[in-house]
Amino acid sequence: MNDKVIYLDYAATTPVDPRVAVKMAACLTQEGLYANPASAHTPGRNARGAVERARSQVAALVNAQPGEIIFTSGATESDNLAIKGVAHFYKDKGRHIVTARTEHKAVLDTCRQLEREGFEITWLKPDADGLLPPQRVTQALRADTILVSIMHVNNEIGVAQDIAAIGRGTRARGVLFHVDAAQSAGKLPIDLNMLDVDLMSFSGHKLYGPKGIGALYVRREPRVNLEALIHGGGHEGGLRSGTLATHQIVGMGEAFALAQAQLAEDAGHVAALRERLWRGIHELVPEALLNGHATQRVAGILNVSFPGVEGESLLFACCTLAVSSGSACNSATREPSYVLRALGREDEVAGSSLRFSLGRFTTAAEVDAAARIVGEEYRRLKSLAA
Amino acid sequence: MGTTVTGYHANVWQHFRAPRNAGMFAPGTPGVVSGRAGNAQHGREVEMALRLDEDARILECRYRVYGCPATIALCSLASEALRGQPLAAAATYSVLALAESLRLAAEKRAAALVVEDALREAAAGYNGPLPPYAAATVQAKQV
Amino acid sequence: MSLKATSIYLDHNATTPLDPRVLEAMLPWLQGIHGNPSSVHRYGRAARAALDTARQQVAALVNAQPAQVIFTSGGTEANNLALKGVCSGTPDGRLLVSAVEHAAVLEPAETLATQGWRVRQLPVDGDGRLDMQALDDMLDLDVRLVSVMRANNETGVLQDVQAVAGRAHGYGALMHTDAVQAAGRIPVDFVELGVNLMTLSAHKLNGPRGVGALIVDKRVDLRPQLTGGGQEQGLRGGTEDLAGVIGFGKAAELAHSELAVRARQLQALREQMEAGLKCIAGIRIFAAGAERLPNTVQIGVEGHAGEMLVMALDRHGIAVSSGSACHSGSGKPSHVLLAMGVDAAMARSAVRISLGMDNTAENVRALLTALAAVTAKRAGAVALA
Repeated sequence: MNDKVIYLDYAATTPVDPRVAVKMAACLTQEGLYANPASAHTPGRNARGAVERARSQVAALVNAQPGEIIFTSGATESDNLAIKGVAHFYKDKGRHIVTARTEHKAVLDTCRQLEREGFEITWLKPDADGLLPPQRVTQALRADTILVSIMHVNNEIGVAQDIAAIGRGTRARGVLFHVDAAQSAGKLPIDLNMLDVDLMSFSGHKLYGPKGIGALYVRREPRVNLEALIHGGGHEGGLRSGTLATHQIVGMGEAFALAQAQLAEDAGHVAALRERLWRGIHELVPEALLNGHATQRVAGILNVSFPGVEGESLLFACCTLAVSSGSACNSATREPSYVLRALGREDEVAGSSLRFSLGRFTTAAEVDAAARIVGEEYRRLKSLAA
Repeated sequence: MGTTVTGYHANVWQHFRAPRNAGMFAPGTPGVVSGRAGNAQHGREVEMALRLDEDARILECRYRVYGCPATIALCSLASEALRGQPLAAAATYSVLALAESLRLAAEKRAAALVVEDALREAAAGYNGPLPPYAAATVQAKQV
Repeated sequence: MSLKATSIYLDHNATTPLDPRVLEAMLPWLQGIHGNPSSVHRYGRAARAALDTARQQVAALVNAQPAQVIFTSGGTEANNLALKGVCSGTPDGRLLVSAVEHAAVLEPAETLATQGWRVRQLPVDGDGRLDMQALDDMLDLDVRLVSVMRANNETGVLQDVQAVAGRAHGYGALMHTDAVQAAGRIPVDFVELGVNLMTLSAHKLNGPRGVGALIVDKRVDLRPQLTGGGQEQGLRGGTEDLAGVIGFGKAAELAHSELAVRARQLQALREQMEAGLKCIAGIRIFAAGAERLPNTVQIGVEGHAGEMLVMALDRHGIAVSSGSACHSGSGKPSHVLLAMGVDAAMARSAVRISLGMDNTAENVRALLTALAAVTAKRAGAVALA
């Protein structure tokens, strides 16, 4: 318990950047922005100013208008708001939704709930490299399709979908397009001015901001309508009621501004370490298999299958590494990753896969140590079974 | 003994981290019976081997294991417990009771049953009184 | 605790400043590496353990079981979850809410009405107290849920939630109470009140904003409103606001241990204030005859617009509100006051003063002086015209 654990689980959550923490803490003191941003008095207006500044920072990272950003309690709520919001608003137009089997649980569970409400869902299967050919999405569109929801970067394997091409296909057919960008914002360049994306979900805590805050981009031109999920008070243009958490919003804004300023630097740092980690693992465990497309991907996520050893044992044997098997939200259950299974990996191999996710504060020494630990523990477990 | 931060009993954790008596006997070792259970495709597979003396007493218990930490630890613990016992003990030893004493979660009971099955299988491979010890070997039953 | 000299904050029902001790508890969780509570590795488990401690602290404040606590992004989400979680998916039933509920209850109720639910509002008397006779008349076996707040956010009026719950249960209905304004200011006991669902908010009890809770007993078959991830026993998906939840826990613990002291201090300040208000011409204290929160006074000032008074006091460095913060700027008279039978003109003149632990007798004197000045000035202006 005393030995230091190497944190390689940035895709589950990132540490708050110290520069973000400073801004947040400043909001939380008695001298800070303690008032309710909805209040008419001066302290209230000051808080509102800080919220609006953060809204601009979030919008700037993805080249959107500040008025197109709605703050939520996180990407899960953003996904819920986007999908249920569209489904319930446009239900008289059609009841068909297209999504992929490898989406985050926030999208899958929401679509399943809509299925129970009478909506029809097409669950697309990506290729073995995790990528979804854009024409597969276009081909799934029907006259009654109202929404396509495809994530930008997959949280387990890190592959990046071609949202530009998918968007062109949906826009041509007048179908709304939602993208969960929780894992890609600040890691890959996103220009919503150039993309035919109507709704996009963001998370604070995947980008060195706080947990419990997220945002949904809602395009104004052409305008997207949503039915709100949380009612009462009319905050955020009536789309999301509830007192705004100024410190959380300020933290997310600062995190997004920092990400914008150092996007290339972060991506370069992380890509180099990821390469180093994969080389290190592959040297010690030649039978290791890389999951997901080798190049069309985000820099920070490396998902590797280790054939011939059992997944939970491997994960626990590597107890000095904070890595995950499957996504964090699935970790409590011992089922093999549904994402890897959707890509056609056998249960046994899918079960013995580890996701290493690297970030801004990861060092070469940590990566080298991780490769060594995984290599040693793999050999040990393999020899038990031999 | 408390549970470790991993949620496993400290004994389970220790035996998972450093399993005792792991690895099989060299081929042709005299007095060995063995049995296999489980299936790697279903998450766990165990082969248990017992080296017996002329009185059918267990001199040594070794194993091969593919599975979760609980499966590995139960193999290790059982191998220690059975050393020096008569062969009949392998047929009646309750790995399930061991698992319960280690407070393994209900979904881990299957691990205990696989280890138990492998032991039963090994014991069943014994074909009656052994010939003079040095003269003969007992073939492991083929699965 | 002291606010800036130029600013006297008397709007604690809108939000309260964070207690420095709560900030201290939160800060470590904003620094360094902390896991996702859903992860099984060491960082994740440490986060999970901290979450569980906070759950115990929040449960203890209202005498509930930790497993009954579902963390949400705030009181609004918790109220939405309570109403829609019980009602949505089954478009057949009746829902009773009091006419003086917060928008976070009234608006979900309206949404349910568009889905086929028959929603009725329970009237209140001139002092804002629930009309129990009307409740008895409206209750029948079709009623599935009754929602009545413990304390009103504008007037501070307390409702006899225990009695309402008893009657609701008599007809097999579930009972929800929005205790956002009450928790931490008066004793709130989930078991004693006999409710099935209760809403709490951290930022009304000197905790952080963006975190709240719904307390749910096992009689309730709740449908999640945010799906995905399986957090909070599958009833509320999404990675938890770890620092926020830990702050909520600490704030709840402090409120629990200091409740009596706080109530006494607030009550004393309010008495001082009400005595002073009675000396200013044209001021009426709403719901004066009802049992109220120790920290809340809502007044009407004849011949004045509440929003103008708020602006005028703001120039004196005093922050108050013209009603619910969520509705400030709308120009509409308070639905709470209208439900009490206050006429629209008087309702438009409403100003809510809500005290907190950072306030002093000096603050109250400053308010009284400023209020006398701004109301006299206005009266003078009218006289001259």
